[in-house]
Amino acid sequence: MTNKAARNLFIFGSLFFFAIFLGLTYDTMGKLDKRAPEITEQVNAGKMVWHKYDCIGCHTIFGNGSYFAPDLTKTTVNKPKGYLKQFLMDPKSANPNASMPKLGIKPDEADNIITFLEWTSKVDTNNWPPKPILATAGGVAGRELTEGQRLYQSLGCSACHTINGIGGTTGPDLTTVGAKRDRVWLAGHFKEPKAFVPESPMPKVEAPDADIEKLTDYMLSLK
Amino acid sequence: MSLKYQSQKIAEYFYTFAVVLFLVQVVVGIIAALQFIWPGFFILNFNTVRTLHINAMVVWLLVGMMGATYYVVPEESETELWGLPLAKFQFWATVVAVTAVILGYIWMGINPQANSPIMGMTPLNEGREYIEAPRWADALIVVSVLLFLFVNFMTMLKTKKWTGIQGTLLGGLLVLALMYLPGMFYTKSMVKDQFWWWWVVHLWVEGAWEVIAGALLAFMLMKVVGAKREVVEKWMYIEVGFVMFTGILGTGHHYYWIGTPSYWLWVGGIFSSLEPVPLLFMVWDAFRTTRDARNVENRAGLYYTVAHAIFNFVGAGLWGVIHTLPQINKWTHGTQITTAHGHLAFYGAYVLLVLSMIYITLPAIRGVKAFNASRAFQSFWWMTISMVFIVLTITGAGMVQVYMERLMGLDYVAVKANYNLWFWVLRAIFGVGFLIGVGIFVVDFFKLGKEPAPAVAAVSDR
Ligand code: HEC
Ligand code: HEC
Ligand code: HEM
Ligand code: HEM
Ligand SMILES: [Fe+2]
Repeated sequence: MTNKAARNLFIFGSLFFFAIFLGLTYDTMGKLDKRAPEITEQVNAGKMVWHKYDCIGCHTIFGNGSYFAPDLTKTTVNKPKGYLKQFLMDPKSANPNASMPKLGIKPDEADNIITFLEWTSKVDTNNWPPKPILATAGGVAGRELTEGQRLYQSLGCSACHTINGIGGTTGPDLTTVGAKRDRVWLAGHFKEPKAFVPESPMPKVEAPDADIEKLTDYMLSLK
Repeated sequence: MSLKYQSQKIAEYFYTFAVVLFLVQVVVGIIAALQFIWPGFFILNFNTVRTLHINAMVVWLLVGMMGATYYVVPEESETELWGLPLAKFQFWATVVAVTAVILGYIWMGINPQANSPIMGMTPLNEGREYIEAPRWADALIVVSVLLFLFVNFMTMLKTKKWTGIQGTLLGGLLVLALMYLPGMFYTKSMVKDQFWWWWVVHLWVEGAWEVIAGALLAFMLMKVVGAKREVVEKWMYIEVGFVMFTGILGTGHHYYWIGTPSYWLWVGGIFSSLEPVPLLFMVWDAFRTTRDARNVENRAGLYYTVAHAIFNFVGAGLWGVIHTLPQINKWTHGTQITTAHGHLAFYGAYVLLVLSMIYITLPAIRGVKAFNASRAFQSFWWMTISMVFIVLTITGAGMVQVYMERLMGLDYVAVKANYNLWFWVLRAIFGVGFLIGVGIFVVDFFKLGKEPAPAVAAVSDR
């Protein structure tokens, strides 16, 4: 091959692939809005707050960004809004172990950002992030779950609490909570957390009394 | 090699600024690493520290490449640089703009409210990774790059000597400038935001910058071992050609999970898996050309050049390809595996590239034939060994993270704070090793050619 032929291969080959790339980009742009919910003014306002506080400097979104803090694409799926708002405005008030700094986010900014994160959670990301293989494998080591354990799962408690190392780190570890609290405290706290722990960011447990009873039994068994 | 044109000395301005920012980048990197262990370790929060780390990196590598270009173009065109005062102005304007942007980041870090939008734009920090620079600074950057391209283009026009090396270099720089533009407009959709953002980030490092690296590699091979232009340029075209053929559509490896259609899984998977191929060509090219070299005057230059080719392949090629297939990337996406790859790729491909160019051209600029290369070798090994260990450490952290968080479903914070704690400690320790290497390099940079005749003549033992 002569130098000139090699040069032409480089130039025209690059243009060729760039043209294909442009074509795909055009096609993609036409499809994106159908893969995501509508962008309201509030979603956009939330996105501006995201940029203003440089959240990407610690977090990832859609898996891109920094790896210092959890990915936020699907946060609103597991965490209730009230808790998130309290956390955003003052992380340590919601979780004493939090290392996210208090950035000075105002109440309306927090609302907007939560709306923005609700939007990202509904974008069709080709099933990313994947469901953990081992955690979704069902029951623990083949044992039948008790009623209380099943409620614990279905009510989403593990988004905030850990038991034996599994679960979220937002709220306190519950591995030995049965040794610490009694029945009256637990059941009352479920119905009205703030009555027992002022400023508690834990959401009320919205369930019939019978279920609260079973959940309390389960908690008491954790020693 | 000796200096042919006085105006080539302008390169040293750019090198000096680059070297200072390199030092800043690495010091700040260590602070970021310590914040993984103690989040409140420093007055500035992690996000600001990280922004300084990666922006200092991008800027010093770009400034280094600009310096190298100002050296190469007169030499290739066989004429003095056109408009030297303009080049000097471009330099000082860049220094002022970069300093202003850095001060803005620090200000915003201390008082986030200072970044409240003005007319829909955040004035100090755009809040987008790598391109945090606010819109007004984007405009200044574009002006600076255009001035820079203009001076070099006019220089080539003066003699109308269009060598392959300078044509390719200019082409790469032009794509670099153009690919900055997709990062310069606001979109309401976070999906589109990231889509265009990757044009800048990916098409820079896996497109334009690799083309520039290919051209500079060809230049260095000619200068260090006296390789024949005919051969070197032909291989250069083939290398940079394949970089573009695989790299352009390889952008798809960032379009798997951000809300884009699923055909990108195929396009990205197939083309990005081929991206290491041209990088392997470069390694082969460097070895073949330098294997039989005798009487190499500048052994440090040769060393860095070959190391650049090797680590470009290892960091970008190997550490890139391990997580580029969608089936794997689904699990590793957005974990420490990405950080590991980012570090080795940038170090191998671009840090070593700029350092090689400095070692090859600085002696001529300073007017010395031979120099004591022992510090160059020392700093090379301190930096390279430390970086390899940083990368192995973080790859380990990434594997633990993928297993614990993505496969077992443990919480992100639990994995980071408990299981990966020792990896963070190790990274900080190796980071200090890297800093020592940088320190030796900085001393060498300022002393090279300014000391009394070298104690050990670099040529004598060959
Ligand atoms: C200095 C780094 C930093 C910055 C900046 C930052 N965060 Fe965080 N964030 C964290 C860390 C670390 C956590 C993990 C929990 C903890 O330790 O505080 C976290 C947790 C969160 C959580 C709770 C997630 C959960 O599941 O409980 C939300 C929501 C959140 N951040 C949103 C944001 C938003 C929105 C911004 C921008 C306005 C932001 N963060 C900026 C570091 C940061
Ligand atoms: C949004 C996060 C969140 C969710 C969801 C959540 N909690 Fe909590 N929980 C907390 C926080 C924060 C605390 C600490 C403050 C308090 O005690 O109210 C807490 C406290 C507790 C305590 C008291 C622990 C102690 O040591 O004092 C128990 C028991 C508990 N939660 C059980 C549950 C159960 C059962 C569920 C599911 C129905 C649940 N939580 C859902 C956040 C949450
Ligand atoms: C010199 C060339 C390269 C450099 C400097 C580089 C650098 C980087 C950086 C810094 C990131 C992280 C971006 C972010 O912050 O989100 C990244 C991501 C990535 N790179 Fe590279 N890269 C190079 C070449 C390659 C090559 C050749 C491949 C594949 C063969 C590759 C595959 C990837 C993949 C798959 C990701 C996404 C990781 C994720 O999903 O989180 N890279 N690269
Ligand atoms: C002393 C040595 C260094 C230390 C301790 C260090 C530390 C760090 C830390 C802690 C981060 C944040 C990672 C995260 O978000 O999880 C980071 C990011 C980054 N650093 Fe460094 N760094 C060092 C040297 C370098 C060098 C020499 C380069 C490049 C040449 C570099 C390039 C980068 C890049 C590109 C990122 C963004 C990575 C990504 O998004 O994947 N660093 N560094
Ligand atoms: Fe890429």
